[in-house]
Amino acid sequence: MEGENGRCVRVLCPKKTLLGFSSSSKESLGIRWLIGSPLFLPPLTVVSAFRCLHGDPFSPDFSREADDIRTLLLRGFDIIGALFIGHGTLEENAIKAVEAFCRLRKSLHNDEVSFDMIGAAADLTIGDICFFVSGSAKPINMEASTVIYEDNPDNYLWEKGCLLRCELAFKLPTYVPVNKTSDVEETFSSLVDAAAAKFKGPYVAYLVEGPNISSGEASHSIVLHGEEFDFNKHPSHQKPLNTSAEAQSCSYFCSKNKFKSTSATRETADAIRVTVLLNKSRNNNSGAPIAEYLPASELARLVVVSFKLDVLCYASEDFPVAAAISELVVPALVDQLETMKKAIIPELLSQHPQVCPYHFLPPGILHPITAIYELRYGETEVKQGEIRKSLHSRLGLPMDRPLLRIANALSFGSKGIMGSNSIPNGCPLLKDVHTGIPNSGVSGGITSLVDGSYEYYHYLLNGMDDNGWGCAYRSLQTIISWYRLQQYTSIEVPSHREIQLSLVEIGDKEPSFVGSREWIGAIELSFVLDKLLGVSCKIINVRSGEELPEKCRELAMHFETQGTPVMIGGGVLAYTLLGVDYNEVSGDCAFLILDPHYTGNDDLKKIVNGGWCGWKKAVDSKGRSFFLKDKFYNLLLPQRPNMV
Amino acid sequence: MVKSVVGEETQLKSAEDRLFQSSVPAEVGLVVGKLNPDSNRGFVYDLIPTPPTDGGGPAGSLGSEVGGRDDKKKRSKGGKPSAEPSLLIDGDWVAEHARQVSRMLLGGMNVVGIYIWASEASFKATMPSILAQALRLVAQAAPWYDSEFDERLLIHISYSPRRWACRNCSLASGSLQPCDFRMGKLLASLQAFRCMYNFEIRLPIVHVGPVDSNTFRNVLFKGITYHAKDLQSAKVLIDGNLVTEDLHSISEGFHKVEFLLPFKKDMSAEGKACSSEEVSGLVVFSGSVCASAYLGPREPISQAIADLKGDIITSLRSRLDVISDEAEGEAALAANSNIEASEDASSGKPIHQLIIHELRKPCCLSFPRRVLVPWFAGIFICDYMQPSETFEDVKDRCKEMMSMEAPIEASAIVEPETAAATVTEKSFWDVTHGDIASLIDDSKNRRHLTEKAGSGKSKGSSLYFPIAIFILLVAILVGWAITFSGRKKVAP
Repeated sequence: MEGENGRCVRVLCPKKTLLGFSSSSKESLGIRWLIGSPLFLPPLTVVSAFRCLHGDPFSPDFSREADDIRTLLLRGFDIIGALFIGHGTLEENAIKAVEAFCRLRKSLHNDEVSFDMIGAAADLTIGDICFFVSGSAKPINMEASTVIYEDNPDNYLWEKGCLLRCELAFKLPTYVPVNKTSDVEETFSSLVDAAAAKFKGPYVAYLVEGPNISSGEASHSIVLHGEEFDFNKHPSHQKPLNTSAEAQSCSYFCSKNKFKSTSATRETADAIRVTVLLNKSRNNNSGAPIAEYLPASELARLVVVSFKLDVLCYASEDFPVAAAISELVVPALVDQLETMKKAIIPELLSQHPQVCPYHFLPPGILHPITAIYELRYGETEVKQGEIRKSLHSRLGLPMDRPLLRIANALSFGSKGIMGSNSIPNGCPLLKDVHTGIPNSGVSGGITSLVDGSYEYYHYLLNGMDDNGWGCAYRSLQTIISWYRLQQYTSIEVPSHREIQLSLVEIGDKEPSFVGSREWIGAIELSFVLDKLLGVSCKIINVRSGEELPEKCRELAMHFETQGTPVMIGGGVLAYTLLGVDYNEVSGDCAFLILDPHYTGNDDLKKIVNGGWCGWKKAVDSKGRSFFLKDKFYNLLLPQRPNMV
Repeated sequence: MVKSVVGEETQLKSAEDRLFQSSVPAEVGLVVGKLNPDSNRGFVYDLIPTPPTDGGGPAGSLGSEVGGRDDKKKRSKGGKPSAEPSLLIDGDWVAEHARQVSRMLLGGMNVVGIYIWASEASFKATMPSILAQALRLVAQAAPWYDSEFDERLLIHISYSPRRWACRNCSLASGSLQPCDFRMGKLLASLQAFRCMYNFEIRLPIVHVGPVDSNTFRNVLFKGITYHAKDLQSAKVLIDGNLVTEDLHSISEGFHKVEFLLPFKKDMSAEGKACSSEEVSGLVVFSGSVCASAYLGPREPISQAIADLKGDIITSLRSRLDVISDEAEGEAALAANSNIEASEDASSGKPIHQLIIHELRKPCCLSFPRRVLVPWFAGIFICDYMQPSETFEDVKDRCKEMMSMEAPIEASAIVEPETAAATVTEKSFWDVTHGDIASLIDDSKNRRHLTEKAGSGKSKGSSLYFPIAIFILLVAILVGWAITFSGRKKVAP
């Protein structure tokens, strides 16, 4: 990008993402690694930034940083520079950034930088970033550069880009002498290395398939053979391609459904599927079968370790798919295997860790990332929580919302659609029924609403006849669906019976309660939320329905800060409250009620026209009170968990 | 239920001619073909007469005219005088023939039933249950790979009046239903598929296991069964092109097939063994199988692939059977004539019957290699050659089992597999630690080892070597001659 004014750095993410201001500003001092794609994007294009976590903020632990980045970053992206946020002059800081970058690069790839690198320094006083470009590591020859912040980064990254995904599960048997188990680590390690070497062997074959989509597009598939690859080639050197299959570019397999980093495609990302196979027919050895028995000189212990690899890579559509495999997919598999080996070795003879890779596309990050979790004790284990916290911090994600839980992971193809719906009969429930209802009629009021999606649970849903007793259960289901859809939990929305069971389990109810048609109230709801989700609740009591408008300010506050649906229980009825419209000056107010007593089918028009979801004033134009004067009301305000 | 059957015109006509020219009043033999349960169609490629029994008598004959039981039956049934003798079939002998023949057939061809050459009257005089029983024995002796299909064919060629009739027999009920039979040209549209398949199955021998049943043979049989499951998940290339669901037809003629298996799935036998069990040894079963299959007219490609997979597994099982038969023959021989037939026999048990736990030293079982023999019209059958055997043995078997009269050119026999490599000098630890010493490395090592051993010997004792070979050859020939008669004796 030689321009008139010298080099120009193009930044695809917002400036504040680079600086990482979403968390507290003191923490944000230190180094950010700038991510780009030297292979597929123009030089000096910054896609995102990762915070440096290990070691002192200004003198990082490069080898640990390299390990983390190797796991996290998709092949196809790479570190292209660094941003230094600290005190001192901009030029000095930029030089420090380039130095740090060069050292990290050495740890990562063990080679010298062959492209222009970016050294950036933040000016803390005005909150701006100055970019410098250096062509060589020594001497650092800085050149100030102009910068463009891209308006439409998604197009920039994904219009010509695509994803390749390779899943590989296999078992590795390891034999060790029973009374010499100290050798096991070394043996296992060499076996893993040998398995990794097989990815590059002559008899390996890679099956490449387009995403399986239902839209009737023909999905293409080809097989590439190990002997046709050249694995020793350096990524940046293109070579002439011989066969037509090899020369096939990635676009041949891409669907018309483009990958976007928007939430719509997050649940069903498309990727070219790559499968590792072994060709059993291309061996020159044609000796007839032979069976040999090899007795062990001493008793051996057999340790079988299961591996589940799952790598995602980024490439441009015009990149030859053979090159994408040999330069991106295979090195990624080798790296991931190495990472897993390190995780497994210390506990090889005890219970093996279950290391599983997942891919995420957290909001605000333009490209997917990969995280490896150890799930032996489940994801709620403290250690896993710590790992997620540090990932949130590295990526500059908010620290009070779970964005990197397994429920948040990208799912590819149709599996994701099925997984996200818990409904046994397969018919999706109505979501967010309040969007598009007529306004409340409160003049000058400020509307505070539920923050995020929920599902509408009401009477008779899913074949459950709960007419006359299940309204509170339904309200609870709606609340839990909110937690599910905001990814705070991956548990299914519980049935009436499961709700009753959990109340019996905590000792609140007698066993005979299960299967009964007994009502539950706000207190029971709070018990169940605590038991199933670990969510705590605030409860507001009012002596009479007349007093409810007085609580409007508090409720508005709830929706602003917590944003969860509220359950209102009073008399014999339970409602779900989705928002309030409140004019502080006049005191006029309205409640957005989602009524679980609806018994019809899931017809949005019918629900809205029938007022089953709508704004209710405490006293309507005809003088009727919505909340009863002679009844006592409980308001259950579930709190948004502060966790990752 | 198979409803329509097409017979290959040229083969069946020549069979018919042969029968008419012969003067035998009755004959029984095997029907080679294919039945497709999905399309309810059947193909018949050829008829193979069952050779005479050891006693020299025919496998199928007409009963004496005054047979007590038959006589009674006929009288009660027809009320006619016992003019027509009923058919007698040596079911066990025919079944043994079916067992031998089924080993020699490639994928996509099976023993699908028996044929009867007899007059209409004799056929009618024969109880259906006798025929059904013969078919049952044949079905048991020559089971189809991975198929529970419960029907076989009975073809009756009648000389008075001269006509063909095909019946479909349900093995369970024994009922015979006539089905539509016509002659046609099948061979022209037959497609051949062939592939080399390399495998390595590792079977850890658990220290404390089922002791009695853990013979070498049983361990290998189980290993083959595990492997059959792995093979099901294979992806397939035909002539270098990936087979996808929408591939329905391919060009005529011969096709080269490649099998692609999921990475490291070949470990599943090991994976099944519970982790952290104590292991006293490892059976490494490896090598190559040349598999082949024939696809009938209007059959889907998937059928060819299924048949090819079946052929791999059946070929391995057949070879295991050949070894067992051979060893049993030798053992019997040793017992009878008190001659030390082989090292294994002298040590008590044949190698395949050794209880694997009790072995303290490495041992090795070489499987016979498969050779492909031209049958007719470009179609091949196969045979298994022990290291000690020559093409003459193959020719003899083809002549006897398949009743191939025309002389077979040795040069026409295809040898896709080389003789099994000799013993590796690798220990248990070498093999398990250098795990990835994959097939290639192994085979390199092996070749290297044998070369070294061979050259060393020939230098030291070049004079004795030819003599040794000569003695060995004589011994083999004599042993084989006796063995072969022993093999025939398997059927009583």
